[in-house]
Amino acid sequence: MTATTPRPDVTGSHHTSSLGDDAFAGEPDDPRVQLDRDLGVFEPVPPYPPRTEREAEFYTLRDGEMFLNMGPQHPSTHGVLRVVLKLDGEKVVDLDPVLGYLHRGVEKLCENADYHHSIAYLDPLEYVSSLFCEWPGVMAFEKLLDVQVPRRAEYIRVLSAELNRIASHSLFLGWMALDLGGLTPILWSFIERDTIVEMLASLTGQRMLFNYFRIGGVNGDLNHEFMSRLGDWMSHATEQVEAGNTLLNENEIFVRRMRGLGKIDSKTALRMTMSGPNLRATGVPFDMRRAHPYSAYPELDFDIPTRQEGDCLARYLLRMDEIKQSLRIIDQCLHQMPDGPVMAKLPRLLRPRPGRAYAGIEAPRGQYAVYAISDGTDQPFRMRIHDPSFLHLQSVGLMMPGHLVADTMAIMASLDPIMGGVDK
Amino acid sequence: MDRSFKARLERRFGDQLTGPVRQRHDETEVRIGPGDVVPVITALHDEPEFSFEFLADLCGVDTGEVMQVVYHLWSPTTPDWLRVIADGLSREDPRVPSVTFMWKGAEWMEREAYDMFGITFEGNRDLRRIYMPPDYQSFPLRKDFYLADDAARSPGAGVRPMEQTHVPRDTVATGKVRRLSPGT
Amino acid sequence: MTVVSRGWNRLTLPGKFLFILVPLLIVATAALIILITAFGQLALDTLAANLPIVRFVVAATVILLITVPTAFLIIYMEMKIIALMNLRIGPDRVGPFGSLLSVVHGLKVLMKEDFTPTGADSVVFTWAPVVVYLASVMTLLVIPFAPGLYGADLNIGLLYFFAVSGLAVVGLLMAGWSSYNKYSLLGGLRAAAQIVSYEIPLTLSVVGLLLLAGTMSLNQLVENQQGWFTDWYIFQQPLGALILFIAATAEANRTPFDLTEADSEIVAGFATEYSGMRFGFFFFAEYVNVFIVSALFVTLFLGGWNAPFALPEAWQVQLSLDPASFNIGLLFIIALAPVVLTLLFAAPFWLVSSRIKWWQALLIGFVLANVFIVTLAVAWAYIGLNWVAGILWFMLKTYVLVFTFVWMRGTLPRVRIDQLMGFAWKWLLPASLLNLFVTAAAIVVIGR
Repeated sequence: MTATTPRPDVTGSHHTSSLGDDAFAGEPDDPRVQLDRDLGVFEPVPPYPPRTEREAEFYTLRDGEMFLNMGPQHPSTHGVLRVVLKLDGEKVVDLDPVLGYLHRGVEKLCENADYHHSIAYLDPLEYVSSLFCEWPGVMAFEKLLDVQVPRRAEYIRVLSAELNRIASHSLFLGWMALDLGGLTPILWSFIERDTIVEMLASLTGQRMLFNYFRIGGVNGDLNHEFMSRLGDWMSHATEQVEAGNTLLNENEIFVRRMRGLGKIDSKTALRMTMSGPNLRATGVPFDMRRAHPYSAYPELDFDIPTRQEGDCLARYLLRMDEIKQSLRIIDQCLHQMPDGPVMAKLPRLLRPRPGRAYAGIEAPRGQYAVYAISDGTDQPFRMRIHDPSFLHLQSVGLMMPGHLVADTMAIMASLDPIMGGVDK
Repeated sequence: MDRSFKARLERRFGDQLTGPVRQRHDETEVRIGPGDVVPVITALHDEPEFSFEFLADLCGVDTGEVMQVVYHLWSPTTPDWLRVIADGLSREDPRVPSVTFMWKGAEWMEREAYDMFGITFEGNRDLRRIYMPPDYQSFPLRKDFYLADDAARSPGAGVRPMEQTHVPRDTVATGKVRRLSPGT
Repeated sequence: MTVVSRGWNRLTLPGKFLFILVPLLIVATAALIILITAFGQLALDTLAANLPIVRFVVAATVILLITVPTAFLIIYMEMKIIALMNLRIGPDRVGPFGSLLSVVHGLKVLMKEDFTPTGADSVVFTWAPVVVYLASVMTLLVIPFAPGLYGADLNIGLLYFFAVSGLAVVGLLMAGWSSYNKYSLLGGLRAAAQIVSYEIPLTLSVVGLLLLAGTMSLNQLVENQQGWFTDWYIFQQPLGALILFIAATAEANRTPFDLTEADSEIVAGFATEYSGMRFGFFFFAEYVNVFIVSALFVTLFLGGWNAPFALPEAWQVQLSLDPASFNIGLLFIIALAPVVLTLLFAAPFWLVSSRIKWWQALLIGFVLANVFIVTLAVAWAYIGLNWVAGILWFMLKTYVLVFTFVWMRGTLPRVRIDQLMGFAWKWLLPASLLNLFVTAAAIVVIGR
């Protein structure tokens, strides 16, 4: 591991490069040359000395520990996430998530686009629950423009968003079971999600990245096909949800693997700025829809489910409860839907006066917020997107130590991160 | 808009504010200097008349003239959001104390602000790049960030002919940087 | 020379094959005839003198050959049944209902690149799949498929079975270590720990059975279960059967104990760096293992090749039809029977419905005639040859158990390694010891 074999002097003899032979000649990483290189151990330690305290603390190994790299290509991380685990046998001692593999520079892109166009950039962030990504964006812009959204548009927003919430939580169910080894629940939950997504496609025109909310309203009223699909689905939605629940809740293996796993208490959760179901599972009844009401929620009647234990099972059961509450909300929206326009009258070219606006909503994963700054031109000056999954991934490091490698995936799945949002 | 809240803030933090307390829709905005971040945040968190326990967002802003760090806080005592702007950081070496002593979850948000703007948070134990690769040289969300320059400095330079990158309207090349008027 | 090359180029591809193949065949036939006339008698004498060895070689070859179609069938079963449980369709295109898909997978796996990863120990890397596969397949030697159809009737058959199936641990450790990859290492160590800790309840669970039967020979155990299904050992050793089933699931690395290949955690466990036919070996070994543990369970507890009912003596049918007594009549039967049966079966369809044309009716009649003849033949074989009956019942029972394994895979999530080990040492081991003590006490008290 210390001595290196002398390198043979080969320059372009077996491969040719279309760029010309001199592009890489002589470089230490010449890709054309097959070397008898001395093999070290391929450790995920960075090739430079540690730059921060935490890096130094993490990348020094004690006796008996080893690194395991769950790389960006992995069948089970929720997107391209790289996690470096420090293991003592099978027990995880510490972990360091490495992000950035899906970074697309959305905030910079939005600065160079019109206000209307930047809404479309927001969809692919948390692609599973796209409407919740667009919503704070349109709300922030509406605050900058002092636009009043018609009531019917607000109700339609709530209706479609709650449908999206159910779809997102169904997907969470499936993923959670898949990461624990069950092959069946994910396919059943995809059937559920497919019905909802087809419904939303008949409303918005798209199955996944909806691009439906507009500044001042929504892009089109409810239509007959959507209402008939919704009616069909609502008539048996509750039993279907119950059936899906019983498959997993009463399975002993499933419950035993999740109970007591990844426990976090409410004070630590608040310190880690967690929000959404992950925070409510620890006992803090904080829900943006009640804490800072927006849109049509003040007129709707629903509960905020809370659980006390703070482990994976609590987070899982809490999301099941949230699906039931969403069904209640959808029911009320349908009954209370007011008449009127679905879009406020706005000029084509939007030039809000200089100012700042912040809008935060309750997405299925937590508090999703957009902070927009306008400088008087037709492009936003700064569009900051605050994503909840980003913060939840920090707390994995607090929940993991002491558990086994197999639990890494279970804990990460129970936090429900979406890498599109984490990496922006 | 909570007028009594504005009065409470002016009463408590009057001498530390560098500008008037502004309110618009359901947000209250407060500007302080970078040195006052720790006492103000601690007061807002600990004192029962404020009790801002929930840090909703922490981000950096480059106004073209100065850098700012913006905190958004929520409290059960007022229906408004509170926005605390640590104003007046220099563009050459922006430094601000870290709030990780209060909320450990701010660590990654500060890492992101460092990665995108170059703002150094003193007291953050883990201030390294989070989105960009660790050997990246520039700070992408700064207003004087020019993509073609950055590509020229990267290891991939010269391998392929460079496509015409998307050139923003006000760039360093034309001598203009997009600016926000102070006090916006 | 150009005449030759021009003539060669004029041939089509099949023509080229035939041009080379036909002379070769003629030469080979001639050589064979010469060899047989010269050495034929000598060969036959040697064979007759060493019949046991010949029988053994033939048995071993047959066993190696039948594992491959069995693996194909079980792989297809798993894909299709799990798909139906998942409310999907599963294999659909390749062959009727997708049944040829696993064959195509087998061919694909043969055509992949054969490499060894950088840094891997190539000798150990190459031999690991062979060891795992052989450890599974060698156990088939002692399993009796039908009366008279077994590889070798060892009087320590059961002991041989457990000993040889435990060799798989060596293969898994070889695979995990030689891959030069931490995931493989973790997977290999997990696999070794799992298999070793479940060996003990596995072997202890059948000791009660051995006390009852008094023999370790699997053939003898099956013969002891003749009669009605209530004579099967599962009713005399229910706890032992249950423990064997659970421990065998863990031995075969099947869900819920499949964390060695848990692809949501450690990519593919010990087989991460394997591809192509090497991976094919591991893959086949796993499915053959499923077949083997099912076969073992059937042999020990479900009566082996016995039917669940026993016909009383008066009902035994003796087939005393001698084909030679038909003489020319046999030729008539062989020539006319298909035609007559086709017309017989076609007539009702053509007469009853006016939408079925005469050629459609004939087609239906032909298919039904074939079905009828095959059913008759199978029934004749079943009644006449006791090994046909035996193998049919054995396969039916074994595949019911294979279905149960597949069913468990489609339904259950997997357990964690510490839960797995805890279960083996704290629950299965005491349970199997309890079973042993109770059986021994019962034998002493009842005084068999």
